[in-house]
Amino acid sequence: MNRIKKRLTILNAVIEAMIKSPETVKYPFGDLTLPEGYRGKIEFDPDKCSGCGLCVRDCPAEALHLNKKSREEYTLLYYPARCAYCGQCEDSCRHGAISHSNKLVGATTHKDDWVLVFKDSKASQE
Amino acid sequence: MDKISIPIGPQHPLLKEPLSMMVDIAGEKVLGGSLRLGYVHRGIERLAQQRTYVQNVHLIERICGICSHVHTTAYCYAVEALLGIEIPPRAQYIRALMCELERIHSHLLWLGILAKHIGLETIFMHTWHDREMALDIMEEISGGRVSHAANQIGGVRFDLDEEHGDMIRGILKKLHSQVDGLLDIIETEPAAIARTKGVAPISSDLIKAYGVVGPVARASGVDIDLRRDAPLPPYDKLQVKVVTHPGGDAWARTYVRAEETRVSLNLCEKILEDLPEGDVSLRTPRRVPEGEVIIRSEAPRGELFYYLRSDGSDKPARLKVRTPTLAALSLLPVQLAEINVADIPVVLAGVDLCIACADR
Ligand code: SF4
Ligand code: SF4
Repeated sequence: MNRIKKRLTILNAVIEAMIKSPETVKYPFGDLTLPEGYRGKIEFDPDKCSGCGLCVRDCPAEALHLNKKSREEYTLLYYPARCAYCGQCEDSCRHGAISHSNKLVGATTHKDDWVLVFKDSKASQE
Repeated sequence: MDKISIPIGPQHPLLKEPLSMMVDIAGEKVLGGSLRLGYVHRGIERLAQQRTYVQNVHLIERICGICSHVHTTAYCYAVEALLGIEIPPRAQYIRALMCELERIHSHLLWLGILAKHIGLETIFMHTWHDREMALDIMEEISGGRVSHAANQIGGVRFDLDEEHGDMIRGILKKLHSQVDGLLDIIETEPAAIARTKGVAPISSDLIKAYGVVGPVARASGVDIDLRRDAPLPPYDKLQVKVVTHPGGDAWARTYVRAEETRVSLNLCEKILEDLPEGDVSLRTPRRVPEGEVIIRSEAPRGELFYYLRSDGSDKPARLKVRTPTLAALSLLPVQLAEINVADIPVVLAGVDLCIACADR
């Protein structure tokens, strides 16, 4: 009896495997849905940033860099290749300027030159 | 017969992580072996002294790729103890939920590896598929599949809502039936029994002499589990059932882990049921008062030990981590003696080594 039950379980698994769609997605051609709270690509809202540097202080991977001349004049740089996508900057920022989106992260062949200027206070004043 | 020494590792198809072993054999019999460690030493304890307490949460998470959450849990409880704060009960329960999910996926991963080593590829495929279900839950609630970043000093980073609860309960139910099937195979499948029963037995005296912990110790009849013996909150309220087996062989180790998976599934359900209302985190100061603390926590592989000393600054003065794998490793050469060459993979897989944890 047990043997028959076992055989049936296996048969069940085989049939299930034959009819269900593949587990993998042919990214980027297939449609990939990531969970709502997935810690993916970092998005930045320059208007909200005050240049306080809290995110830079807490970033464990030194992926953020603040060049500060004065309260008004500063640039915030981001090095995606160093980022660990840990979510600390999002937590530390009191102004909600920096956040994770649920999109996949980019890629590069020159990781050292990959710098994004998150905020250049001069450029945003012009 | 002449003695031959064969090197296994540091890079070897048998091993998932770098570990070097010299195994002495004579014909089909293994005479003994010796070990070399340190291939994935990253100096994390030293690095931790150069980073702030907040940054360290993410560094500590990277000690291990399987039990990353329990490391940060132990670390955060240590920092919170020095700060003299108690995190909200809801945060404690969410931490425990993640710990149990981690145990489930860690044990399923291990069962898969063992099955693969003894030639049961189908079981390997099934357990790894099931493990993915547990990881799906963790990804959905925390945002990361392996590096969950769930803990922060003062609580956890996310909250659960009703929708999460339903999703988790649904997946747990499916996992329950899968684990039942798995236990049935372990107990009745002749091929699984033949390759594990009586292989590389460890006596409980040997376990105690070498200080081995976790499922390996419990499979030799040593009844220890920190979730019951020295519980961190909220385990003191959860009545954990400790699974033991007197067998001491590879089969007993398999059985204990599979049964523990079932216990963890029940615990997850209990945690969801009892989940208290309230906040999930507290604001904490950046500087930690002078002092030292020891925190012990039950990781999937056994007792995890954290020692933390603070000099009053925002960086730890010393952080010492002792992982369960270290003790299990010291027992390997003893276990290898007097077995057949074909059983080497069973012995190696049987102790569920995590070299990255042990080397740090
Ligand atoms: S996600 Fe983490 S590593 Fe990346 S920039 Fe933010 S704090 Fe730094
Ligand atoms: S992103 Fe936020 S934390 Fe970082 S400098 Fe701007 S305001 Fe401060």
